[in-house]
Amino acid sequence: MKFTRSRIFHFVVGIALAVVTFISFSTPMAGSFEDVVNFKMNSGLSKVPVKCTVVRPSFDSIGKKFFGSRDFTGRVMPVSIAGVLPSGEGSTFVADISYDAGHAEYHLEKVVRLDPGMTFPLIPGLGELGRNMLFHVPMSMVAFLAFLMGTINSILYLAKKKSTPEQKMLLDQKARAASAVGLLFTLLSTVTGSIWAKFSWGTFWNWDPREVDIFILLLIYAAYFILRSLLEESEEKKARIAAVYNIIAFASVPLLMFVLPRIAQSLHPGGGGAEAPVINANGKTHTDPTLLGMLWTNVFVFVLLYFWLADLTRRVLGLAEHEEEDI
Amino acid sequence: MVEFRTRYGVSAVVMFLLVTVAVILFSAPNEQLAPSLMSAFFWIALFFGAMTGLARSFISEEERGTGLLLRLYAPADSVYIGKLVFNVMMMLGLAIAAILFFLFFFTRDFSVQDWPMFLLQLGLGAAGIASVSTILSALIGRAAQKGALLPVIALPVLTPLIIATTDATRITLEHANTWQDIRGDIIILFSFDLVMALFSYVLFEFIWKD
Repeated sequence: MKFTRSRIFHFVVGIALAVVTFISFSTPMAGSFEDVVNFKMNSGLSKVPVKCTVVRPSFDSIGKKFFGSRDFTGRVMPVSIAGVLPSGEGSTFVADISYDAGHAEYHLEKVVRLDPGMTFPLIPGLGELGRNMLFHVPMSMVAFLAFLMGTINSILYLAKKKSTPEQKMLLDQKARAASAVGLLFTLLSTVTGSIWAKFSWGTFWNWDPREVDIFILLLIYAAYFILRSLLEESEEKKARIAAVYNIIAFASVPLLMFVLPRIAQSLHPGGGGAEAPVINANGKTHTDPTLLGMLWTNVFVFVLLYFWLADLTRRVLGLAEHEEEDI
Repeated sequence: MVEFRTRYGVSAVVMFLLVTVAVILFSAPNEQLAPSLMSAFFWIALFFGAMTGLARSFISEEERGTGLLLRLYAPADSVYIGKLVFNVMMMLGLAIAAILFFLFFFTRDFSVQDWPMFLLQLGLGAAGIASVSTILSALIGRAAQKGALLPVIALPVLTPLIIATTDATRITLEHANTWQDIRGDIIILFSFDLVMALFSYVLFEFIWKD
């Protein structure tokens, strides 16, 4: 097996995708001590995972252990104390913490993970569902990138008048491949979004402004492929007409993806100019730095995935056209 | 242009509009229609009226075989400008016909509270539909199934415009002094029109030449 450049690229993208998927799901979720109190008061949730640091370990009696950062009594099973609980100062662990409002005390219920490294922040109202953000949001971003790349290739196709037919054909194939992958990512974003909606808003589809917009986006790019398949022209003229449609269609994409969702009232964060963890009208982020880091890492890997898929699709289109020429 | 000589093209579209209004009337007899519904019906009638009327602009040239002559005879720019001007005029005429029909048939429910703003957003919306359909009709001039294709590819592209304009129409139907409320919609409509007209003007050359 020869290690060509593209093979190495496939390998790298595959590994990177597997690693970020694993990290996205395996990172333990942890909130803060304030969350424990708020959750107890607002939703009656008794236990919340919190990342704790050992400051002043001291054994009081069997089954109890005191930690200095917040004074809470840990009613832990003796087994977990003896075998698992860290005793070194500065070591970290994630534990389920409950709050006793009567005595204003925190109780350590169960140790979840030792030395967790980074933790996924606990988002009120979302919990474990919040992890979907690491897939749903990058997919939408990459869909936009794909449509942008498709349009750039279409513009180049029309603008480069002096290039050879082969070069022009390559640009056309690139534009089609980018739009096809963009359509795929839009679909994936719709599917992950609607599963998320089912569990946090109750239904798969709510005709929320962003849902309307992504539906229109699907229609626009489905129409692109329908238009191309129905044209009865030479390959060259087909490519030219499709390029013109692609550029015109893209004119409304920024409006759909960036302007309208911020104006309309929405269930999504950021609708109607509301404060939001990741996206809002002011362009400021108040997101947990770990979450932001994970999010951008996933975005980067999905961008790599886009380039891989677009390249593959482009080559398949090229091969299909060669075959037609031979016949 | 050819359409002025074949008057039946225009009258057919006006008839189409009238039939649409009649269907709305029959499907909702004696109903109190809210401004949001009124705005939706108004734009549904206008959109599909436009699709039947404006689709003809380039398709008829191809069907009649006059496209080739036009290509030889006139530069691309003037063909585009001519078609655009005709389509915008036709669209505005259609909009006026739609207002008259709605005022006549829905006297109670279709009561515009803020006429200047209503006409402004209607004009911008109609011009946007006209310019998008002009370029898209040129695109599909020689495609198969062209009758059905124009609404299919025009609706997604026009959606931002339709969302903004139905919203603005609803507000102008609801109350007076609406400038503050519909300013955002007007900005969207205006920029959409401008971008589409510019893009179409630049890109028309590429689809027109053979």
